[in-house]
Amino acid sequence: MTDQTAVLRDVRRGMIPAHIYNDSETFALEKERLFGRAWLFVAHESEIPAPGDYVVRRVLEDSFIVTRDESGEIRAHFNMCLHRGMQVCRAEMGNASHFRCPYHGWSYRNDGRIVGLPFHQDAYGGEAGFRRKGQRLLPAPNLATYNGMIFISLDPDAPPLEDFLGDFRFYLDYYTRQSPSGIELRGPQRWRIKANWKIGAENFAGDMYHTPQTHTSVVEIGLFREPKAEKRKDGATYWAGNGGGTTYKLPPGDLDERLRYVGYPQEMIDRMKAAWSPQQSQVIGRDGFMISAASLFPNLSLVHNWPRVADSEAVLPFISIRQWQPISENETEVLSWFAVDAEAPEEFKALSYKAYLMCFGSTGMFEQDDVENWVSLTNTAAGSMARRLLLNSRMGLLEDGVQVSPTLTPDEFAGPGTARTGYSEYNQRELLNRWADHLERPQPRAATVEVGTGHGPDSCDAEPAGTDTAPRRSEGDPKETRS
Amino acid sequence: MPELTADLGACQGYANCVVAAPDTYDIDDDGLVVLVRTEIPEEDRARVEEAARSCPVSALKVDGK
Repeated sequence: MTDQTAVLRDVRRGMIPAHIYNDSETFALEKERLFGRAWLFVAHESEIPAPGDYVVRRVLEDSFIVTRDESGEIRAHFNMCLHRGMQVCRAEMGNASHFRCPYHGWSYRNDGRIVGLPFHQDAYGGEAGFRRKGQRLLPAPNLATYNGMIFISLDPDAPPLEDFLGDFRFYLDYYTRQSPSGIELRGPQRWRIKANWKIGAENFAGDMYHTPQTHTSVVEIGLFREPKAEKRKDGATYWAGNGGGTTYKLPPGDLDERLRYVGYPQEMIDRMKAAWSPQQSQVIGRDGFMISAASLFPNLSLVHNWPRVADSEAVLPFISIRQWQPISENETEVLSWFAVDAEAPEEFKALSYKAYLMCFGSTGMFEQDDVENWVSLTNTAAGSMARRLLLNSRMGLLEDGVQVSPTLTPDEFAGPGTARTGYSEYNQRELLNRWADHLERPQPRAATVEVGTGHGPDSCDAEPAGTDTAPRRSEGDPKETRS
Repeated sequence: MPELTADLGACQGYANCVVAAPDTYDIDDDGLVVLVRTEIPEEDRARVEEAARSCPVSALKVDGK
């Protein structure tokens, strides 16, 4: 493999070798050192509300069954039968008390423990040949949740999720905790784009600069009230913990008035005020900044916008959570969810969903505008000329490192982290600096798990002795899944 | 009440029955079927019988009224 030292050094000074957006060696390193280690979003608890509910989600090529087991615990099982490696669940979502492999019929409870192993005695000679006891589908090495968002990490030594999110939690709450009940999701819509995964993550993290140009037509047809050039640069970008995002500067008003300005009904505003900390309220109410797009390193983005949904001045806010799931160096699967406060009135949920679908999702107008650029960029990054080009991603910094606009003080911006008004690429640099930190650090080889023998960690997620012996009753009316 | 019986000599541990009716069947550590209950209320009979019929080695049956 080519030495990446120079590439990483250039990235760290804000000069981006253009080929990193379409390069197989870079992608191989990302797979091993970034996606093999980072916390990655896989699902939201509201997608699997009842025991037995599951969704199947991927981390690159690794398929995971994310399920709520019979006792209500959330688990992520590596979707590979312990016998011949077949996928034990081939549906995308559903409800099942058990998963049965279609190949030889091995079956597993939804907590991952093996239950059916045909001809164990005749074929293997029982426990003496294959230690069935304690075997379970391989669990994700790490799993944790925040505001119902389920993250996994393939690194058993990953730092706690809360530490990884850090102060970005403050901003994540605006999208995912507008009431004590949190959000519920619809979707995801999934589709593939011939673009590198990093472009979307960078764009949502901090690119306020593209809005007036790329999305001109959306403004022209009157769908969107806000993204005029002079409006966008008045907003602030912030970076905190492992994420950052953009905001719009709203017209004068207090918290209630500003939340009404973007279309929230008073009853939802009252719940937000109860759910948010004084500082969270201040960013909007005192400082006048309304959160818009954001990215959490490495590949999760969020968006909050408020388009017009009818021929009037009235706007309606919506939230989308989206993931840029890499397929290769030049292809990405986009997963786009609609999110809404679970306590919102039904009418609001319906209209907000409509607003989302107009702007984002597979048919959304903003989405189409963006992807055209990203695909074209990715294509051009594959050639030999791109290897000669160091893109200047230093917006917001003079050559000597002096900031074009000063960091906002706590009196100007109540949120944690660092915030500035105006166009800049601070957030894109934050994201790519973390990317460089991962890419230069080799990932130790993971421990292997031997199936059915007495060697090594044979019970990958050992349970206290004896819990496996008593038959268990399952509640409800679970259905099986078969291929 | 209908009675559920299992032929432990025939059972091969497929666990099809467990998948179909986990409130009635389970598998023990030796990989053999365990009947959580043997007296089957009439209202559950169809479901428990269907699970019994899913056994590839016909180790399960429901008898009587």
